[in-house]
Amino acid sequence: MPQVPLGDYLAVSAALFVVGVLGFLMRRNPITMLMAIELMWNAGNLAFAAFARTFADMSGQIFVFIVVTVAAAEAAIALAIVVMVFRRRRVVDVDDVAELRG
Amino acid sequence: MDGFLATAPFTILFLPLFGTIVIALAGPRVHRSGAAIVGNLAVLGAFVLTAILAWAVWHMPVDQQVLTVKYPPAWAAHPAYWAHIPPLTISFELRIDPLALVWMLIVTGVGFLIHLYSVGYMAQSHGYRTFFAYMNLFVFAMLMLVMAGNFLWLLVGWGGVGLASYLLIGFDSQRVAAVVAARKALIMNVIGDVGIMIAIFLMYAHFGSLSYKEVFGNVTSASTSALDWIGIWLLVGAVAKSAQLPLHTWLPDAMEGPTPVSALIHAATMVTAGVYLIARAHPIYDHAPAAAMTVAIVGCASAVFAATIGMAQYDIKRVLAYSTMSQIGYMVLAVGVGAYAAGTFHFVAHAFFKALLFMAAGIIIHNLGGEQDIRKMGGLARRMPFAFWTFLIGTLAISGIVPFAGFFSKDDILDELTLLHHPLLFGFAAFAALMTAFYMFRLLFLVFFTGNYRGDHDVHADSSATMTVPVFILAVLSTIGGWFVLPGHDEISKALQGAFIDAGRLPAMGEFNWPITAVATGAALAGIALAYWLYERAPAVRERLSGVLAPVRRLLFNAYYVDTIYHWLFEVPALTLASDVATYVDPDGVGGVTAGIARATRGVGDAMSGWETGYLRRYGLTMVIGLVLVLAYYLLVVRGGMPVGI
Repeated sequence: MPQVPLGDYLAVSAALFVVGVLGFLMRRNPITMLMAIELMWNAGNLAFAAFARTFADMSGQIFVFIVVTVAAAEAAIALAIVVMVFRRRRVVDVDDVAELRG
Repeated sequence: MDGFLATAPFTILFLPLFGTIVIALAGPRVHRSGAAIVGNLAVLGAFVLTAILAWAVWHMPVDQQVLTVKYPPAWAAHPAYWAHIPPLTISFELRIDPLALVWMLIVTGVGFLIHLYSVGYMAQSHGYRTFFAYMNLFVFAMLMLVMAGNFLWLLVGWGGVGLASYLLIGFDSQRVAAVVAARKALIMNVIGDVGIMIAIFLMYAHFGSLSYKEVFGNVTSASTSALDWIGIWLLVGAVAKSAQLPLHTWLPDAMEGPTPVSALIHAATMVTAGVYLIARAHPIYDHAPAAAMTVAIVGCASAVFAATIGMAQYDIKRVLAYSTMSQIGYMVLAVGVGAYAAGTFHFVAHAFFKALLFMAAGIIIHNLGGEQDIRKMGGLARRMPFAFWTFLIGTLAISGIVPFAGFFSKDDILDELTLLHHPLLFGFAAFAALMTAFYMFRLLFLVFFTGNYRGDHDVHADSSATMTVPVFILAVLSTIGGWFVLPGHDEISKALQGAFIDAGRLPAMGEFNWPITAVATGAALAGIALAYWLYERAPAVRERLSGVLAPVRRLLFNAYYVDTIYHWLFEVPALTLASDVATYVDPDGVGGVTAGIARATRGVGDAMSGWETGYLRRYGLTMVIGLVLVLAYYLLVVRGGMPVGI
């Protein structure tokens, strides 16, 4: 099976990351923003896995597991916050939740 | 007997402290007479034990009269139990020798009489219990000072008497003058404490020990200049404590304290501590001629200086204060030239007659409702015969009239000055004796004869027995106290021999040098005659003289403006500096820095909080920008160029 070159993996990873960044910056629905964050996580994961495979070093694979774990925890906390904000404020727009300004 | 010799010093020393603690702890729960009884018994007990101890010591052979007792005795074999910083061991060490015993006898004996006097004198005053607690504390500190066996414990007593003096001068804490005087006394005394501290450091450097036994035993191992410096720093302490030039200005102000305090602390005992210190450190001064000469000159100058001031004062207690300074000048002069026995003898005689004078003056002041201005007194001899006769005995004694105590002791000092070939010092001392007789009799005439009493208070001559009995005893002692030394018969030198066995020479007193005696008595009689003529016989001459000498009188009345000079030299610069610091440095400097830091922090915080918009997406954008910047930095600066292919 022909090897997919590292550059291709990285290109896909970069594309995913940019989609995630733009999604996070441009959408105001918190759920969508969380999904955008997941995209960024996974862009990173893809790069880790690709490097691990290319350089035959398993640390990258292990990093992916850790990232997935942390991402799950982050998603759980973030969703809990979103649910609580929604229950109290009935809003689903992050720009309406800006009380913590300096 | 050995057991007694070991325990008695400890008991004597701590009995008065015990009295203080009992009075302080009992507080208002016991009747005020309880405090007086405890205070008196503590000192009386100490006196009785001291007398027995003195009897025991003076029955020993002369070369065994120095007892060194360490507490607890069992520790002597284990120096590490005490403060032990090799090579220095500081044990709790007392030294009982004839010199210390003389001082202990006076401190507890005269101290007891003054305690007894205070029972009546202080009867009307607030803080009666506190007064006795402080007085006992003083006796304890003074005993610590004279019984100490090394210089560190001496310094403990030295500081302790300063503290007791401070507390008692400012005893009437409602009066500003008393509190200010107390503060002044404390500050000037602390200058002396520092002097002794420096002497102690020097002794540690040169001898590696602070114990009298070791320092005095090795005194020849140090150079003369080192001993001179130690002597000079000890003299600084002595000068401050004994109100000698130039640290004397606190003593006249200390007269703000109650009269028994003036009698006990500022006449009989504490102010003579400087004399004790120099006599105690005599092995050092014996080998430090320059320091010893300085001591003698300071003493002589103080004697003359204070005597001139005494001639122009109008407050009865201030006259006595200056006469105290002058008489202590005599003692310092004596110990400075090496006449230790004569100086000690004059201390004993002075303790008797000066305590007597203060307490007789106290009776007058008490009966006049607090009046102390002698210009308002006069003609009191008939109204207060007891005060008059006792005051007269004290005045004759201080003037040096035979057969009263001061005659023998002053004559001894003058004798020694000629024997040791100090003609100049002798001349000044004789001149001071003349002035002493003059101003004391001026005081006597103004108070008891000239004119009539014209004060604001009624004269009520009622003195309780507790006041008159001690005065009477002191009058007897002032009369016969000099008879220790009669022609061919010298108990003082014999008694002190044991303490000065290592001195170069112990002058043999008791050999009256009749020309000297004639000069001394002549000077005293001339002073008395002058006072009598000016104040009793020729008031017109006196008026004319005081007109002519007005500037001199003003100079003397203001005590040569030493206080004013010190005011401008030390107080004003210090206060100016302090107020300048408070006005400029503190708010604009120190305050400016701290306020500036606070302002800067707040400014930065305000500026930064503008970023905290609360908009989540803006934070995200900021993070992205930051990420881009970090990456760009890494790629462009650290890596040094854009990556080309991977």
